[in-house]
Amino acid sequence: MKSYAVRNLRLCTKDCLCLYVCPTGATDTEDSIIDVDKCTGCGVCAESCPSGAITMMPLQLPPQQHKTEKVTAVLNLMSQSKAEQEKAALQIAKETEKDGLYRLMMAFARSNRIMAEDLLREAGYMLPQSSNAQDLLKSLIDNPPSPDFPVESAKKLLELIPCNDCR
Amino acid sequence: MKYRCNICGYLYDDSRQEVPFNELPDSWTCPLCMASKSQFTLLEEKKEEKPAEPVSIDEDAFELSAGQLSALFSNLARGAEKQYIPAAQKEFTVLSEWFLKAAQDNSPASIEDLAEYLSNDINKGYKDIDSIATADSDRGALRVNVWGDKVTRMLSNLLERYQSEGEDFLLNTEVWVCTACGFIYPGDEPPQICPVCKVQDWKFEKQERRKA
Repeated sequence: MKSYAVRNLRLCTKDCLCLYVCPTGATDTEDSIIDVDKCTGCGVCAESCPSGAITMMPLQLPPQQHKTEKVTAVLNLMSQSKAEQEKAALQIAKETEKDGLYRLMMAFARSNRIMAEDLLREAGYMLPQSSNAQDLLKSLIDNPPSPDFPVESAKKLLELIPCNDCR
Repeated sequence: MKYRCNICGYLYDDSRQEVPFNELPDSWTCPLCMASKSQFTLLEEKKEEKPAEPVSIDEDAFELSAGQLSALFSNLARGAEKQYIPAAQKEFTVLSEWFLKAAQDNSPASIEDLAEYLSNDINKGYKDIDSIATADSDRGALRVNVWGDKVTRMLSNLLERYQSEGEDFLLNTEVWVCTACGFIYPGDEPPQICPVCKVQDWKFEKQERRKA
């Protein structure tokens, strides 16, 4: 098996041909999310879907494109600026009683979070499966930043997610 | 004469409009993205900027703060969600929220602080990313640079308008955030497509009022 089927509910027009063609019943689910455990990756659902709502997701993802140290460094500096702005916007929102300023600052916090996420993706943390992400989890398990750090969550993630580019 | 919006690229061509650009009131905003008149650049005048100064890299750039780690893990939570791994999404969210809490220090913050960050991002940060990503042919970094630069200019523009108009600016107006690129749009309804990243309107979220 090289891939598995995922369904975009925004595109699904409930023609239900995927139910008709699926050999294992993986597409026949209560919550409309294709049952990854039953899916054999045969792809007939994606081929038969009239609204193009099903995509075959590769099981093994390729490694992220190489990032130079300089690119990583400038992107990191920018995500740090966005993180500081998120923090400042949340603080201003918390303290103000004005409705307009509150909404603007909450929107600023959200916007800065989205930009920081995007910058960190491009700085090497695109995939949960990447060795960068896995190394970070390992280092947090070995050296927790404080005693109440949720080490168990980090350990569980290492069990849940296989590495796609580890040697 | 032609003028282009720095944020969304909307073109104001005097020969096709009844009112020449110069005679538009200062309160006029871009019909596509609501950016101020000041965000428009005269096309003929736009000359090549001189190459940026070489960027020196501080070793600190590789250390990630609690705020960055929170965004890093919320991003991985999103990645797990898109790949339909809800168990991993949940654990990444736990880590993200822990770091968000760790980042809060209740230090005083003002609109002026934000304005300074924004101006530094626009005048230095994005220019540095542009020159390094261009030199290293990094398509992904160039893409994040284009989106981020435009969204940051819009944020700076909105902050300036709030500073000059006060609460009146947003009195009877909703505030929408594009959940794909972070673009902020003031208006009754979100734009049909995001002026920056071109995602559809349903990816916009309305900023709700504070709960009583």
